Amino acid sequence: MNPSEQDLPYTREIRSNAEDVALIRRMCDADETALGALYDRWMRSLYSLVVHLLKDPDEAEDVVEETFWQAWRKASSYEPSRGAVSTWLLTIGRRRALDRLRAKARRREDSLTHEGRVLADMASAAPDPSQTAEGAERRAHVLAALDELPDEQREVLELGYFQGLTQTEIAEATGQPLGTVKTRMRLAMQKLREPLSMYRESAQ
Amino acid sequence: MTTLSHEEAYSELAVVALDAAPLEVSSAVREHAAACPECGPELMAMEEVVTQLGQLVPGAGMNPGRSAGIRSRLVMRARTEREARSSAAPGARPDLARGVASLTGFGHRLTPGSQRAVEAEIRKVVPPQKRTRTFLSGPGLWALAASVAFVVVAVQLARVKADRDALRAELASRADTASSVDSARRAIAENQALVAAMAGPDVKIVALSKNTTRMGRMFWNPSSNDWTFVVYTMPPPKPGMTYQVWLVTDSAKISAGTFNPDSSGHAFMRAKYALDRNALKAVAVTEEPAGGMPAPTGPIVVSGSATP
Repeated sequence: MNPSEQDLPYTREIRSNAEDVALIRRMCDADETALGALYDRWMRSLYSLVVHLLKDPDEAEDVVEETFWQAWRKASSYEPSRGAVSTWLLTIGRRRALDRLRAKARRREDSLTHEGRVLADMASAAPDPSQTAEGAERRAHVLAALDELPDEQREVLELGYFQGLTQTEIAEATGQPLGTVKTRMRLAMQKLREPLSMYRESAQ
Repeated sequence: MTTLSHEEAYSELAVVALDAAPLEVSSAVREHAAACPECGPELMAMEEVVTQLGQLVPGAGMNPGRSAGIRSRLVMRARTEREARSSAAPGARPDLARGVASLTGFGHRLTPGSQRAVEAEIRKVVPPQKRTRTFLSGPGLWALAASVAFVVVAVQLARVKADRDALRAELASRADTASSVDSARRAIAENQALVAAMAGPDVKIVALSKNTTRMGRMFWNPSSNDWTFVVYTMPPPKPGMTYQVWLVTDSAKISAGTFNPDSSGHAFMRAKYALDRNALKAVAVTEEPAGGMPAPTGPIVVSGSATP
């Protein structure tokens, strides 16, 4: 990674949802400077997520631009009661990345050969110097919570989230019936809710 | 759209939260969840869990120059859209031809509404049965004619005034629209010029750094003499000071302008200056008293060599 990128000031900023909500309100009032400010706050997180999914920096940049543009156009559809701005934004970005991934109908044999290694890779990834102490702690906490899951539940989450596979593809990859995949996903999510609830960013 | 039972929707919540369900299933589940007191909060909580999983993705930095470009495009696009939106008239436009007629007095006719008002006034003044008996004789005829003429003139004057006001509003609105269109055209032209200035085949790029940290770039198009300067992580200058950009040649240090970064450290400048293709040795930024100086006096804050 380019050392200068780690020094971007916004990556060190402590971002509160109240500030994000205020920016969204300004965007609803057609204040384009709020869009720039929202970009500064969340570009890095969004780019990290979509480039991880797409494995293509050029495509990831496109998705980042599309996502913020959609946020601008649809700012009035954001409902604070339905979750934090970051959740809304990252969900838009992830969906767009998955749409691209699936539209290309990539065969995922190469991904599947890495089955079970996703979390290990992430756990051993070099720490990001630009990450705040709070962010590093949160990351460690999420990893620990995932580690607590039974292997088969963690596996379906990894394939669904980090590889972007559909439920049918996960069933094919794991050799399990579709119903079993759904059940494992639900159980995994329900088990993660409690340990991760402390990080839930309530709308303000 | 497919309609799901509560149990069916509940069993799909996790895959929907993960975006791993087919679109039609996802839509049906979301529609159910929007109205279901159990599935709605459950889906929301699962989506929060999904967001938390994003914490595990290793941080990746976008190329700062490209990121600055995306940011600029977004803000410019949003501004253009905002200006276009604000220039659009909210309701139906007044009839311009009618407004002109009302101002000139030529070709104007009563509208159906004003016609009805005149007829109503006539009926008030003369009930139909009485009118049939006295219409052709006596002083009542003159009174009737005077009343009708008064009402017609009053209604017509009111109409003329309303149309004149509408016309004025219309003319003002069209002036605003023309101004916005001009503004959008200028923005497009500026964007095209910017692309040409930064992406021409012989554009030279000078990377600007402080120590080893990349802080910006200068794009120089010798064919068009365009200089485009971008920095993205500049701290604010000291109070009473500003940053000044210098084009360094063997014989001179030429000022390319002053700037103050915005709150996020970004700054963007353009200049036109003819310089021999081989003259540029470096680009430097110094901190100078507000307003700038004819020659650099302060320390170099950021610089980059133009020679390979």
